[in-house]
Amino acid sequence: MKHVIKALTLALAASLLMAATAFAAPVKIGLMCPLTGKWASEGQDMRNIVTLLADELNKAGGINGNKVELVVEDDGGDPRTAALAAQKLTTSGVIAAIGTYGSAVTEASQSIYDEAGVVQIATGSTAVRLTEKGLKRFLRTAPRDDEQGMVAAKLIKAKGYKAVALLHDNSSYAKGLADETKALLDKAGTKIVFYDALTPGERDYTAILTKLKAANPDIIFCTGYYPEVGMLLRQKMEMKWNVPMMGGDAANHADLVKISGKEAAKGYFFLSPPGPQDLDAPAAKSMLTAYKAKYNGVPGSVWSVLAGDAFNVIVEAVKSTGKADSAAIADYLKTKLKNYPGFTGQISFNEKGDRVGDLYRVYEVNANGEFILQP
Amino acid sequence: MTVSRTTSYAGIAVVVAVLPLLLDPYWTDVFVSIGLYSVLALSLNIILGQAGLFHMGHAAFYAVGAYVTAIANTMWGVPVLWAMPFAGLAAALFAMLVARPIIHLRGDYLLIVTIGIVEIVRIALINNVFGLTGGANGIFGISRPTLFGFKIAKPVHFYYLVWAYVACSVLLFRRLENSRFGRALNYIKEDDTAAEGSGVNTASYKLWAFVLGAFWAGMTGTIYAAKMTIISPESFSFWESVVLFAIVILGGGSNRGVLLGAFLLIGLPEFFREFASARMLAFGLAMVVMMIFRPQGMLPPMPRFYKLPERIRCVTGKDGGAAAAQVGGEA
Repeated sequence: MKHVIKALTLALAASLLMAATAFAAPVKIGLMCPLTGKWASEGQDMRNIVTLLADELNKAGGINGNKVELVVEDDGGDPRTAALAAQKLTTSGVIAAIGTYGSAVTEASQSIYDEAGVVQIATGSTAVRLTEKGLKRFLRTAPRDDEQGMVAAKLIKAKGYKAVALLHDNSSYAKGLADETKALLDKAGTKIVFYDALTPGERDYTAILTKLKAANPDIIFCTGYYPEVGMLLRQKMEMKWNVPMMGGDAANHADLVKISGKEAAKGYFFLSPPGPQDLDAPAAKSMLTAYKAKYNGVPGSVWSVLAGDAFNVIVEAVKSTGKADSAAIADYLKTKLKNYPGFTGQISFNEKGDRVGDLYRVYEVNANGEFILQP
Repeated sequence: MTVSRTTSYAGIAVVVAVLPLLLDPYWTDVFVSIGLYSVLALSLNIILGQAGLFHMGHAAFYAVGAYVTAIANTMWGVPVLWAMPFAGLAAALFAMLVARPIIHLRGDYLLIVTIGIVEIVRIALINNVFGLTGGANGIFGISRPTLFGFKIAKPVHFYYLVWAYVACSVLLFRRLENSRFGRALNYIKEDDTAAEGSGVNTASYKLWAFVLGAFWAGMTGTIYAAKMTIISPESFSFWESVVLFAIVILGGGSNRGVLLGAFLLIGLPEFFREFASARMLAFGLAMVVMMIFRPQGMLPPMPRFYKLPERIRCVTGKDGGAAAAQVGGEA
């Protein structure tokens, strides 16, 4: 037990030292991210962005003269470690915690923050149920899974397609997206001429393509992942069938074009949150320049940029309310914050803590096989 | 058991009992984790440490237990702790089904197959098998356990629940080790062929080792599910099996060693949290150092000692008390 006591004394000494170097009582903000494990690159991007923002903020004088102290904990991309990380953050006295990536991992930490009364802003967690529990201090900067279905249905209507074929792969994500879109299209009166699943991992999809062709759709919406979509595109071209095809964000992978070939992929479009290099907000551009200068690279995905957004809205809330208090922050973010200019567009939250507004954009594949963001 | 040993056990019990009074919720939670892994490693110890079967798929049985609990609780409203024996039975049944055809495999070959089992289970869970497991998102909203009307929710409550469970497990496994069954397993570990030749039904004993270990792991799954209130396939990855395997190997195969291993492998990474991403490096280094300097593990089981009955002692002409004969590893 000596270890424990030793570690505790050490921790105490360290925190005292840190406190002594700050000029005023620092505002403690927690970041929980997967620094180890299979999502480590994602977590390291999150840490880099938030550290960058915190450093810049402190250089500029902090929040109302108070320095911000960032407490980073590793959740390992695993629910058990995440629960420990959350315990650690809440006992270290943070007023708000950012994170994390992965819905199940976030969920494991939710009740811990809730019981401790700490604001939690999730970043890469899209499962619908996270905000449906009525937790007072839980918010997220990520879109919900059902939002993509909404955007897809809107897009199909806007493009004027009348007969839609829906194809999924029975994974909970792809099926969920297909079901959501189907329900919305049914309501809007658009005809669904085909609704079925393919078996992922196969090499030959001509059978299902022949079935699809018989249904004669205006458009095929395949919600599955890029390997299957790539095969479908290629075999569709080999059949000389010229129907447009669209996809969800699971198709957003550079290998798509490698599988299908450039010719077959041309004109294919899909929904996805914008990649970091495509973010057009001025704040995002200057942040990415600073990021490149400091870390010599760009963040791998938009999910880590959402951690930066979470940090900024917390700072904004503390600035506006004038106090570092969790209840005040949660209340401010849910009711008063409107159209905050974030990296990924304007940010507002609704009562449930979900982000209001579309994050999803349309990407189209051009003749060179590049993904081009559509205006 | 000597007096000094009894006092040292009592001392440990007292320390374990008062520890949470000195710790904050975070460290209490760390010790809950250590406790959970201790029981899991103890259950793996029957298979790996006692019978010497290279089994690296223990997370599969743990997962079966946790998922049975979660499904029973969220779908049919079975109280969590009531689900415990069923979780254990389900895991044991699963172990019997998958271990029966592979039980004759030896060494590394068995290891590879058991890795396959844990991967199959994990992928089946992700694929939402029978529409029950909730896919990659897992199952959420598992209710907190209640014990005699007391709701167990805080880290401190779980601390006592888990460590009481650890104490029971250690006691039972100790009895098991010294039973005919335990000796048979040790014999199999030392020499499979000799055991077979002496009339030990090795296939049957090996299978029962698997079933028993899985039963205990399944029950631990219940406590894990109750503690987390959400379970997802990530919690039962191949890595978990590796950690459990490492705990037993590092510990050396005795119950004390396993407990120490759990402390080191689960507790130490938390002490080194400050180093964040480098802590896994230290973990690897420690393993290499162990391999070179103490390949038998930290606390390997001590050889068995039995006091000879009075009669024999008279015949051999030795003084009472000091005489002891080693009959280690005989079934």
